[in-house]
Amino acid sequence: MIHLQDISVRYRLIRERRSTFQSHLINYFKGKRMETETLWALKNISIDVPEGESLGIIGHNGAGKSTLLKVVSGVIKPVEGSVQVKGQIAPLIELSAGFDPELTGRENIYLNASILGFSRKEIDNKFDRIVEFSELQEFVDSPLKNYSSGMISRLGFSIATEVDPDILIIDEVLSVGDVSFKRKSMERILEFRKKGITIFFVSHNMDEIMTICSKVLWLDHGSKKMTGEPEAVISAYESYHMLPR
Amino acid sequence: MVRSLQEFSEILRYKELLRNLVARDIKKRYKRSTLGFLWVMLDPLLMMLVFYIIFSGLFGKTVGNYTAYVITGIIMWQLFAQGTKVSSMAFIHNRNLISKIHLPTAIFPIAIVGSSVAHFIFSLVPLFIIILFSGTIPSYYIPLLPVTIALIVIFSVGISLTISTLTVFFHDVVYIYDVILIGWMYLSAIFYPVTILPQKLQILMSLNPLYHYISLFRACIYDTTLPIIEHLIFGTAFSIISFAIGWTIYHQNRDKIIFYI
Repeated sequence: MIHLQDISVRYRLIRERRSTFQSHLINYFKGKRMETETLWALKNISIDVPEGESLGIIGHNGAGKSTLLKVVSGVIKPVEGSVQVKGQIAPLIELSAGFDPELTGRENIYLNASILGFSRKEIDNKFDRIVEFSELQEFVDSPLKNYSSGMISRLGFSIATEVDPDILIIDEVLSVGDVSFKRKSMERILEFRKKGITIFFVSHNMDEIMTICSKVLWLDHGSKKMTGEPEAVISAYESYHMLPR
Repeated sequence: MVRSLQEFSEILRYKELLRNLVARDIKKRYKRSTLGFLWVMLDPLLMMLVFYIIFSGLFGKTVGNYTAYVITGIIMWQLFAQGTKVSSMAFIHNRNLISKIHLPTAIFPIAIVGSSVAHFIFSLVPLFIIILFSGTIPSYYIPLLPVTIALIVIFSVGISLTISTLTVFFHDVVYIYDVILIGWMYLSAIFYPVTILPQKLQILMSLNPLYHYISLFRACIYDTTLPIIEHLIFGTAFSIISFAIGWTIYHQNRDKIIFYI
Protein backbone atom coordinates (compact mmCIF):
# COMPACT_ATOMS: atom_id res chain seq x y z
CA MET A 1 0.00 0.00 0.00
CA ILE A 2 1.28 3.44 -0.87
CA HIS A 3 0.04 6.60 0.71
CA LEU A 4 1.40 10.00 -0.29
CA GLN A 5 0.10 13.06 1.51
CA ASP A 6 0.61 16.62 0.19
CA ILE A 7 3.97 15.88 -1.39
CA SER A 8 6.04 18.76 -2.72
CA VAL A 9 9.48 18.48 -4.30
CA ARG A 10 11.69 21.40 -5.17
CA TYR A 11 14.65 21.40 -7.55
CA ARG A 12 17.38 23.92 -7.97
CA LEU A 13 17.58 25.00 -11.55
CA ILE A 14 21.04 26.17 -12.51
CA ARG A 15 21.36 28.75 -15.24
CA GLU A 16 24.72 29.13 -16.83
CA ARG A 17 24.46 32.04 -19.14
CA ARG A 18 27.07 32.32 -21.83
CA SER A 19 29.08 35.38 -21.14
CA THR A 20 32.40 36.93 -22.00
CA PHE A 21 35.41 35.87 -20.07
CA GLN A 22 35.65 39.33 -18.58
CA SER A 23 32.12 39.46 -17.21
CA HIS A 24 32.58 35.93 -16.02
CA LEU A 25 35.65 36.96 -14.09
CA ILE A 26 33.89 39.98 -12.62
CA ASN A 27 30.95 37.87 -11.55
CA TYR A 28 33.33 35.37 -10.08
CA PHE A 29 34.91 37.94 -7.84
CA LYS A 30 31.52 39.31 -6.91
CA GLY A 31 30.78 35.80 -5.70
CA LYS A 32 28.19 35.08 -8.35
CA ARG A 33 29.20 31.67 -9.63
CA MET A 34 25.90 30.49 -10.93
CA GLU A 35 22.37 31.70 -10.98
CA THR A 36 19.93 29.33 -9.43
CA GLU A 37 16.20 29.30 -9.42
CA THR A 38 13.81 27.01 -7.69
CA LEU A 39 11.50 24.81 -9.65
CA TRP A 40 8.62 22.99 -8.03
CA ALA A 41 8.71 19.57 -9.63
CA LEU A 42 5.72 18.41 -7.58
CA LYS A 43 3.19 20.54 -5.77
CA ASN A 44 0.81 19.16 -3.13
CA ILE A 45 0.35 15.75 -4.61
CA SER A 46 -1.70 13.26 -2.62
CA ILE A 47 -2.29 9.76 -3.88
CA ASP A 48 -3.43 6.51 -2.39
CA VAL A 49 -2.54 3.35 -4.19
CA PRO A 50 -4.04 0.21 -2.70
CA GLU A 51 -2.28 -3.13 -3.05
CA GLY A 52 -2.64 -4.66 -6.49
CA GLU A 53 -3.54 -1.49 -8.29
CA SER A 54 -1.60 -0.53 -11.39
CA LEU A 55 -1.38 3.19 -11.65
CA GLY A 56 -0.45 4.81 -14.94
CA ILE A 57 1.13 8.24 -14.81
CA ILE A 58 0.92 10.50 -17.84
CA GLY A 59 1.83 14.08 -18.60
CA HIS A 60 4.08 16.26 -20.73
CA ASN A 61 7.88 16.14 -20.45
CA GLY A 62 8.89 17.68 -17.16
CA ALA A 63 5.47 17.25 -15.60
CA GLY A 64 6.96 15.48 -12.61
CA LYS A 65 6.29 11.84 -13.51
CA SER A 66 9.78 10.55 -12.85
CA THR A 67 10.08 12.69 -9.75
CA LEU A 68 6.93 11.11 -8.38
CA LEU A 69 8.41 7.65 -9.00
CA LYS A 70 11.59 8.72 -7.22
CA VAL A 71 9.57 9.82 -4.22
CA VAL A 72 7.78 6.47 -4.11
CA SER A 73 11.02 4.49 -4.42
CA GLY A 74 12.69 6.57 -1.70
CA VAL A 75 15.36 8.22 -3.83
CA ILE A 76 14.06 11.72 -3.17
CA LYS A 77 12.75 12.90 0.14
CA PRO A 78 10.07 15.54 -0.46
CA VAL A 79 10.46 18.93 1.25
CA GLU A 80 6.86 18.77 2.37
CA GLY A 81 4.35 16.00 2.95
CA SER A 82 4.53 12.43 4.15
CA VAL A 83 5.30 9.20 2.35
CA GLN A 84 4.18 5.76 3.45
CA VAL A 85 5.28 2.80 1.38
CA LYS A 86 4.90 -0.81 2.44
CA GLY A 87 6.65 -3.58 0.57
CA GLN A 88 9.76 -4.42 -1.44
CA ILE A 89 10.20 -2.10 -4.41
CA ALA A 90 11.77 -3.03 -7.73
CA PRO A 91 12.66 -0.04 -9.84
CA LEU A 92 12.79 -0.43 -13.59
CA ILE A 93 14.11 3.05 -14.07
CA GLU A 94 16.52 3.52 -16.92
CA LEU A 95 17.92 0.05 -16.85
CA SER A 96 21.47 0.78 -17.78
CA ALA A 97 22.16 2.97 -14.74
CA GLY A 98 23.78 0.15 -12.79
CA PHE A 99 25.73 -1.46 -15.60
CA ASP A 100 29.42 -1.25 -16.18
CA PRO A 101 30.59 -1.62 -19.80
CA GLU A 102 33.96 -3.13 -18.85
CA LEU A 103 32.45 -6.02 -16.89
CA THR A 104 30.96 -9.17 -18.40
CA GLY A 105 27.26 -9.90 -18.50
CA ARG A 106 27.69 -12.32 -15.62
CA GLU A 107 29.53 -9.77 -13.48
CA ASN A 108 26.95 -7.15 -14.35
CA ILE A 109 24.10 -9.40 -13.26
CA TYR A 110 25.72 -9.75 -9.85
CA LEU A 111 26.48 -6.04 -9.63
CA ASN A 112 23.03 -4.97 -10.72
CA ALA A 113 21.14 -7.39 -8.51
CA SER A 114 23.22 -6.31 -5.52
CA ILE A 115 22.29 -2.71 -6.31
CA LEU A 116 18.71 -3.84 -5.79
CA GLY A 117 19.77 -5.16 -2.38
CA PHE A 118 20.16 -8.89 -2.99
CA SER A 119 22.58 -11.21 -1.28
CA ARG A 120 24.99 -13.42 -3.18
CA LYS A 121 22.95 -16.51 -2.46
CA GLU A 122 19.72 -14.98 -3.72
CA ILE A 123 21.46 -13.89 -6.91
CA ASP A 124 22.95 -17.38 -7.39
CA ASN A 125 19.43 -18.76 -7.26
CA LYS A 126 18.03 -16.29 -9.76
CA PHE A 127 20.99 -16.27 -12.10
CA ASP A 128 19.88 -18.96 -14.55
CA ARG A 129 16.37 -17.59 -14.84
CA ILE A 130 17.70 -14.10 -15.51
CA VAL A 131 19.96 -15.32 -18.31
CA GLU A 132 17.22 -17.48 -19.76
CA PHE A 133 14.66 -14.70 -19.89
CA SER A 134 17.14 -12.29 -21.44
CA GLU A 135 18.07 -14.90 -24.12
CA LEU A 136 21.69 -13.85 -23.84
CA GLN A 137 23.22 -17.24 -22.96
CA GLU A 138 26.02 -17.00 -25.51
CA PHE A 139 27.04 -13.50 -24.48
CA VAL A 140 27.01 -13.86 -20.74
CA ASP A 141 30.80 -13.98 -20.46
CA SER A 142 31.52 -11.11 -22.84
CA PRO A 143 32.00 -7.57 -21.61
CA LEU A 144 28.93 -5.40 -21.84
CA LYS A 145 30.63 -2.94 -24.16
CA ASN A 146 30.21 -5.56 -26.89
CA TYR A 147 26.44 -5.70 -26.36
CA SER A 148 23.97 -3.77 -28.45
CA SER A 149 21.77 -1.31 -26.59
CA GLY A 150 18.79 -3.58 -27.10
CA MET A 151 20.67 -6.46 -25.50
CA ILE A 152 21.60 -4.32 -22.52
CA SER A 153 18.01 -3.32 -21.92
CA ARG A 154 16.92 -6.94 -22.20
CA LEU A 155 19.40 -7.87 -19.51
CA GLY A 156 18.26 -4.99 -17.32
CA PHE A 157 14.62 -5.89 -17.68
CA SER A 158 15.33 -9.52 -16.85
CA ILE A 159 17.22 -8.66 -13.68
CA ALA A 160 14.69 -6.16 -12.39
CA THR A 161 11.74 -8.44 -12.93
CA GLU A 162 13.32 -11.53 -11.36
CA VAL A 163 13.09 -9.70 -8.07
CA ASP A 164 9.64 -10.81 -6.91
CA PRO A 165 8.74 -7.32 -5.78
CA ASP A 166 5.62 -6.10 -4.01
CA ILE A 167 5.77 -2.86 -5.94
CA LEU A 168 7.10 -2.53 -9.48
CA ILE A 169 8.13 0.86 -10.80
CA ILE A 170 8.40 1.18 -14.56
CA ASP A 171 9.64 4.38 -16.16
CA GLU A 172 9.41 4.43 -19.96
CA VAL A 173 11.45 1.33 -20.50
CA LEU A 174 9.23 -0.77 -22.70
CA SER A 175 10.21 1.14 -25.81
CA VAL A 176 13.47 -0.79 -25.93
CA GLY A 177 14.29 -4.17 -27.34
CA ASP A 178 12.93 -5.80 -30.48
CA VAL A 179 9.30 -6.64 -31.14
CA SER A 180 9.39 -10.13 -29.70
CA PHE A 181 11.15 -9.04 -26.53
CA LYS A 182 8.73 -6.16 -26.14
CA ARG A 183 5.83 -8.59 -26.30
CA LYS A 184 7.57 -10.85 -23.81
CA SER A 185 8.10 -8.02 -21.35
CA MET A 186 4.53 -6.85 -21.73
CA GLU A 187 3.35 -10.39 -20.92
CA ARG A 188 5.57 -10.45 -17.88
CA ILE A 189 4.18 -7.16 -16.60
CA LEU A 190 0.62 -8.38 -17.09
CA GLU A 191 1.58 -11.52 -15.17
CA PHE A 192 2.75 -9.33 -12.31
CA ARG A 193 -0.58 -7.54 -12.44
CA LYS A 194 -2.45 -10.81 -12.20
CA LYS A 195 -0.36 -11.80 -9.20
CA GLY A 196 -1.62 -8.69 -7.42
CA ILE A 197 1.63 -6.73 -7.50
CA THR A 198 1.26 -2.96 -7.29
CA ILE A 199 2.55 -1.26 -10.42
CA PHE A 200 3.56 2.32 -11.15
CA PHE A 201 3.81 2.81 -14.86
CA VAL A 202 5.06 5.89 -16.67
CA SER A 203 4.74 5.97 -20.42
CA HIS A 204 3.94 8.20 -23.34
CA ASN A 205 2.41 5.27 -25.16
CA MET A 206 -1.31 5.43 -24.42
CA ASP A 207 -1.94 1.93 -25.74
CA GLU A 208 0.48 0.48 -23.20
CA ILE A 209 -1.19 2.51 -20.45
CA MET A 210 -4.59 1.16 -21.52
CA THR A 211 -3.33 -2.42 -21.49
CA ILE A 212 -1.54 -2.30 -18.16
CA CYS A 213 -3.23 0.23 -15.91
CA SER A 214 -6.36 0.11 -13.84
CA LYS A 215 -6.17 3.78 -12.94
CA VAL A 216 -4.43 6.79 -14.43
CA LEU A 217 -2.97 9.94 -12.90
CA TRP A 218 -2.39 12.94 -15.13
CA LEU A 219 0.30 15.34 -13.99
CA ASP A 220 0.69 18.83 -15.39
CA HIS A 221 3.57 21.10 -14.30
CA GLY A 222 3.90 19.25 -11.02
CA SER A 223 0.24 19.31 -10.10
CA LYS A 224 -2.45 16.70 -10.24
CA LYS A 225 -4.64 17.51 -13.23
CA MET A 226 -6.93 14.55 -13.21
CA THR A 227 -7.18 11.02 -11.91
CA GLY A 228 -9.56 8.20 -12.64
CA GLU A 229 -10.44 5.44 -15.11
CA PRO A 230 -7.86 5.05 -17.90
CA GLU A 231 -10.32 5.74 -20.74
CA ALA A 232 -11.63 8.94 -19.21
CA VAL A 233 -8.27 10.40 -18.24
CA ILE A 234 -6.54 9.47 -21.47
CA SER A 235 -9.25 10.95 -23.67
CA ALA A 236 -9.23 14.14 -21.60
CA TYR A 237 -5.41 14.26 -21.84
CA GLU A 238 -5.45 13.68 -25.57
CA SER A 239 -8.09 16.29 -26.29
CA TYR A 240 -6.26 18.74 -24.02
CA HIS A 241 -3.12 18.31 -26.08
CA MET A 242 -5.19 17.79 -29.24
CA LEU A 243 -3.60 14.49 -30.07
CA PRO A 244 -5.46 12.60 -32.74
CA ARG A 245 -5.86 8.99 -31.78
CA MET B 1 20.04 8.67 16.08
CA VAL B 2 17.36 6.20 15.05
CA ARG B 3 17.83 7.16 11.41
CA SER B 4 21.58 6.74 11.74
CA LEU B 5 21.13 3.22 13.08
CA GLN B 6 18.67 2.41 10.30
CA GLU B 7 21.20 3.51 7.75
CA PHE B 8 23.98 1.50 9.38
CA SER B 9 21.88 -1.62 9.20
CA GLU B 10 21.00 -0.84 5.61
CA ILE B 11 24.67 -0.59 4.70
CA LEU B 12 25.19 -4.00 6.30
CA ARG B 13 22.27 -5.38 4.29
CA TYR B 14 23.96 -4.17 1.11
CA LYS B 15 27.26 -5.92 1.84
CA GLU B 16 27.04 -7.83 -1.44
CA LEU B 17 26.98 -4.51 -3.27
CA LEU B 18 29.98 -3.37 -1.25
CA ARG B 19 31.81 -6.53 -2.26
CA ASN B 20 30.88 -6.10 -5.92
CA LEU B 21 31.92 -2.46 -5.99
CA VAL B 22 35.33 -3.32 -4.54
CA ALA B 23 35.76 -6.24 -6.94
CA ARG B 24 34.74 -4.07 -9.89
CA ASP B 25 37.28 -1.44 -8.98
CA ILE B 26 40.13 -3.91 -8.78
CA LYS B 27 39.13 -5.82 -11.91
CA LYS B 28 38.75 -2.68 -13.96
CA ARG B 29 41.97 -1.13 -12.83
CA TYR B 30 44.16 -4.01 -13.90
CA LYS B 31 42.19 -5.75 -16.61
CA ARG B 32 43.87 -3.92 -19.45
CA SER B 33 47.48 -3.93 -18.32
CA THR B 34 49.86 -6.69 -19.34
CA LEU B 35 51.29 -7.27 -15.91
CA GLY B 36 47.78 -6.91 -14.53
CA PHE B 37 47.54 -7.80 -10.96
CA LEU B 38 51.29 -7.75 -10.36
CA TRP B 39 51.06 -3.97 -10.38
CA VAL B 40 49.32 -4.00 -7.03
CA MET B 41 52.47 -5.49 -5.57
CA LEU B 42 54.97 -3.69 -7.77
CA ASP B 43 53.60 -0.27 -6.94
CA PRO B 44 54.76 -0.01 -3.31
CA LEU B 45 58.02 -1.75 -4.19
CA LEU B 46 58.90 0.79 -6.86
CA MET B 47 57.92 3.69 -4.64
CA MET B 48 60.09 2.31 -1.89
CA LEU B 49 62.96 2.01 -4.33
CA VAL B 50 62.64 5.67 -5.27
CA PHE B 51 62.58 6.82 -1.66
CA TYR B 52 65.43 4.50 -0.84
CA ILE B 53 67.66 5.80 -3.62
CA ILE B 54 66.94 9.43 -2.76
CA PHE B 55 66.88 9.38 1.00
CA SER B 56 68.90 6.43 2.27
CA GLY B 57 72.09 8.49 2.10
CA LEU B 58 70.45 11.23 4.18
CA PHE B 59 68.53 9.23 6.74
CA GLY B 60 69.84 5.72 6.29
CA LYS B 61 72.14 5.95 9.25
CA THR B 62 69.66 7.63 11.61
CA VAL B 63 67.18 4.79 11.36
CA GLY B 64 68.07 1.19 11.95
CA ASN B 65 66.66 -0.91 9.09
CA TYR B 66 65.81 1.93 6.73
CA THR B 67 64.26 -0.40 4.11
CA ALA B 68 61.64 -1.68 6.51
CA TYR B 69 61.07 1.82 7.84
CA VAL B 70 60.31 3.26 4.41
CA ILE B 71 58.18 0.48 3.02
CA THR B 72 55.97 0.27 6.10
CA GLY B 73 55.50 4.04 5.96
CA ILE B 74 54.61 4.04 2.28
CA ILE B 75 52.17 1.14 2.47
CA MET B 76 50.29 2.61 5.40
CA TRP B 77 50.23 6.06 3.85
CA GLN B 78 48.92 4.67 0.57
CA LEU B 79 46.14 2.80 2.36
CA PHE B 80 44.92 6.10 3.76
CA ALA B 81 45.72 8.53 0.95
CA GLN B 82 44.53 6.45 -1.99
CA GLY B 83 41.18 5.68 -0.39
CA THR B 84 40.34 9.18 0.77
CA LYS B 85 41.61 10.89 -2.36
CA VAL B 86 39.61 8.80 -4.81
CA SER B 87 36.52 8.95 -2.65
CA SER B 88 36.22 12.72 -3.01
CA MET B 89 34.32 12.08 -6.25
CA ALA B 90 32.40 9.08 -4.89
CA PHE B 91 28.94 10.64 -5.02
CA ILE B 92 29.46 12.61 -8.21
CA HIS B 93 30.75 9.63 -10.19
CA ASN B 94 27.82 7.50 -9.06
CA ARG B 95 25.25 10.19 -9.78
CA ASN B 96 23.48 7.89 -12.20
CA LEU B 97 22.72 5.32 -9.56
CA ILE B 98 22.14 7.62 -6.61
CA SER B 99 19.56 9.66 -8.49
CA LYS B 100 17.63 6.66 -9.73
CA ILE B 101 17.66 3.85 -7.23
CA HIS B 102 17.25 3.90 -3.49
CA LEU B 103 20.55 2.89 -1.89
CA PRO B 104 22.46 3.65 1.28
CA THR B 105 24.48 6.37 -0.45
CA ALA B 106 27.39 6.17 2.01
CA ILE B 107 28.24 2.82 0.47
CA PHE B 108 30.14 4.50 -2.40
CA PRO B 109 32.88 6.26 -0.40
CA ILE B 110 33.05 3.23 1.92
CA ALA B 111 33.59 0.95 -1.08
CA ILE B 112 36.48 3.11 -2.25
CA VAL B 113 38.15 2.79 1.14
CA GLY B 114 37.38 -0.92 0.84
CA SER B 115 39.28 -1.29 -2.42
CA SER B 116 42.16 0.58 -0.86
CA VAL B 117 42.17 -2.06 1.90
CA ALA B 118 42.20 -4.80 -0.75
CA HIS B 119 45.27 -3.18 -2.32
CA PHE B 120 46.87 -2.95 1.07
CA ILE B 121 46.39 -6.65 1.69
CA PHE B 122 48.09 -7.51 -1.60
CA SER B 123 50.96 -5.18 -0.85
CA LEU B 124 51.64 -7.15 2.32
CA VAL B 125 53.20 -9.78 0.04
CA PRO B 126 56.14 -7.63 -1.15
CA LEU B 127 56.36 -6.20 2.34
CA PHE B 128 56.98 -9.58 3.94
CA ILE B 129 59.35 -10.57 1.17
CA ILE B 130 61.45 -7.49 1.87
CA ILE B 131 61.26 -8.00 5.62
CA LEU B 132 62.48 -11.57 5.28
CA PHE B 133 65.18 -10.88 2.71
CA SER B 134 66.59 -7.96 4.65
CA GLY B 135 67.05 -10.26 7.61
CA THR B 136 64.62 -8.40 9.83
CA ILE B 137 63.07 -10.26 12.70
CA PRO B 138 59.29 -9.92 12.58
CA SER B 139 57.69 -8.27 15.58
CA TYR B 140 55.81 -10.18 18.28
CA TYR B 141 53.19 -7.46 18.16
CA ILE B 142 51.93 -8.86 14.85
CA PRO B 143 48.62 -10.07 16.39
CA LEU B 144 47.79 -6.36 16.75
CA LEU B 145 47.86 -5.90 12.97
CA PRO B 146 44.07 -6.33 12.52
CA VAL B 147 43.48 -3.69 15.22
CA THR B 148 45.85 -1.31 13.47
CA ILE B 149 44.09 -1.82 10.14
CA ALA B 150 40.66 -1.41 11.72
CA LEU B 151 41.74 1.90 13.27
CA ILE B 152 43.13 3.41 10.08
CA VAL B 153 40.11 2.16 8.10
CA ILE B 154 37.64 3.78 10.50
CA PHE B 155 39.70 6.95 10.38
CA SER B 156 39.75 6.87 6.55
CA VAL B 157 36.02 6.25 6.30
CA GLY B 158 35.42 9.32 8.45
CA ILE B 159 37.61 11.48 6.21
CA SER B 160 36.07 9.94 3.06
CA LEU B 161 32.53 10.71 4.17
CA THR B 162 33.57 14.27 4.98
CA ILE B 163 35.42 14.91 1.73
CA SER B 164 32.88 13.21 -0.54
CA THR B 165 29.93 15.06 1.03
CA LEU B 166 31.65 18.45 0.99
CA THR B 167 32.71 17.94 -2.64
CA VAL B 168 29.06 17.68 -3.68
CA PHE B 169 28.42 21.21 -2.45
CA PHE B 170 31.84 22.80 -3.03
CA HIS B 171 33.73 21.22 -5.84
CA ASP B 172 36.92 23.06 -4.85
CA VAL B 173 37.32 20.60 -1.98
CA VAL B 174 38.86 18.11 -4.44
CA TYR B 175 41.75 20.46 -5.21
CA ILE B 176 42.14 21.67 -1.65
CA TYR B 177 42.35 18.10 -0.40
CA ASP B 178 44.99 17.24 -3.02
CA VAL B 179 47.21 19.96 -1.64
CA ILE B 180 46.50 18.95 1.94
CA LEU B 181 47.52 15.37 1.13
CA ILE B 182 50.88 16.43 -0.24
CA GLY B 183 51.69 18.44 2.86
CA TRP B 184 50.32 15.73 5.09
CA MET B 185 52.55 13.12 3.48
CA TYR B 186 55.70 15.11 4.20
CA LEU B 187 54.56 15.63 7.78
CA SER B 188 53.97 11.95 8.47
CA ALA B 189 57.51 10.68 8.99
CA ILE B 190 57.33 8.22 6.13
CA PHE B 191 60.93 8.41 4.93
CA TYR B 192 62.63 10.38 7.73
CA PRO B 193 62.82 9.59 11.44
CA VAL B 194 60.91 11.82 13.87
CA THR B 195 64.09 12.32 15.83
CA ILE B 196 65.51 14.65 13.17
CA LEU B 197 62.74 17.13 13.95
CA PRO B 198 63.17 19.82 16.62
CA GLN B 199 61.71 18.91 20.01
CA LYS B 200 58.70 21.22 19.57
CA LEU B 201 57.71 19.64 16.25
CA GLN B 202 58.09 16.18 17.71
CA ILE B 203 55.43 17.00 20.28
CA LEU B 204 53.15 18.37 17.55
CA MET B 205 53.66 15.11 15.69
CA SER B 206 51.43 13.37 18.22
CA LEU B 207 48.55 15.43 16.78
CA ASN B 208 49.08 13.81 13.38
CA PRO B 209 46.79 10.76 13.26
CA LEU B 210 48.76 9.17 10.43
CA TYR B 211 51.94 9.27 12.50
CA HIS B 212 50.25 7.01 15.07
CA TYR B 213 48.86 4.57 12.50
CA ILE B 214 52.19 4.32 10.69
CA SER B 215 54.00 3.83 14.00
CA LEU B 216 51.51 1.16 15.06
CA PHE B 217 52.08 -0.59 11.76
CA ARG B 218 55.85 -0.45 12.21
CA ALA B 219 55.45 -1.86 15.70
CA CYS B 220 53.33 -4.72 14.36
CA ILE B 221 55.79 -5.54 11.59
CA TYR B 222 59.29 -5.15 13.03
CA ASP B 223 59.95 -2.36 15.53
CA THR B 224 59.21 -3.49 19.10
CA THR B 225 60.84 -0.44 20.65
CA LEU B 226 57.96 1.90 19.81
CA PRO B 227 55.58 3.08 22.57
CA ILE B 228 52.70 0.98 21.29
CA ILE B 229 50.21 1.79 24.08
CA GLU B 230 50.52 5.51 23.45
CA HIS B 231 49.99 5.05 19.71
CA LEU B 232 47.00 2.81 20.34
CA ILE B 233 45.33 5.38 22.58
CA PHE B 234 45.91 8.29 20.19
CA GLY B 235 45.01 6.18 17.16
CA THR B 236 41.73 5.05 18.69
CA ALA B 237 40.80 8.58 19.71
CA PHE B 238 41.46 9.95 16.23
CA SER B 239 39.45 7.14 14.62
CA ILE B 240 36.43 7.86 16.77
CA ILE B 241 36.64 11.62 16.24
CA SER B 242 37.09 11.28 12.47
CA PHE B 243 34.23 8.82 12.09
CA ALA B 244 31.89 10.89 14.26
CA ILE B 245 32.58 14.06 12.26
CA GLY B 246 32.37 12.30 8.87
CA TRP B 247 29.15 10.51 9.67
CA THR B 248 27.51 13.66 11.06
CA ILE B 249 28.41 15.75 8.01
CA TYR B 250 27.20 13.02 5.66
CA HIS B 251 24.05 12.30 7.60
CA GLN B 252 23.01 15.94 7.98
CA ASN B 253 23.27 16.42 4.23
CA ARG B 254 22.25 13.06 2.88
CA ASP B 255 18.80 14.12 1.66
CA LYS B 256 20.25 17.19 -0.05
CA ILE B 257 23.02 15.35 -1.91
CA ILE B 258 20.72 14.21 -4.71
CA PHE B 259 19.78 17.78 -5.61
CA TYR B 260 23.39 18.90 -5.94
CA ILE B 261 25.29 16.06 -7.61
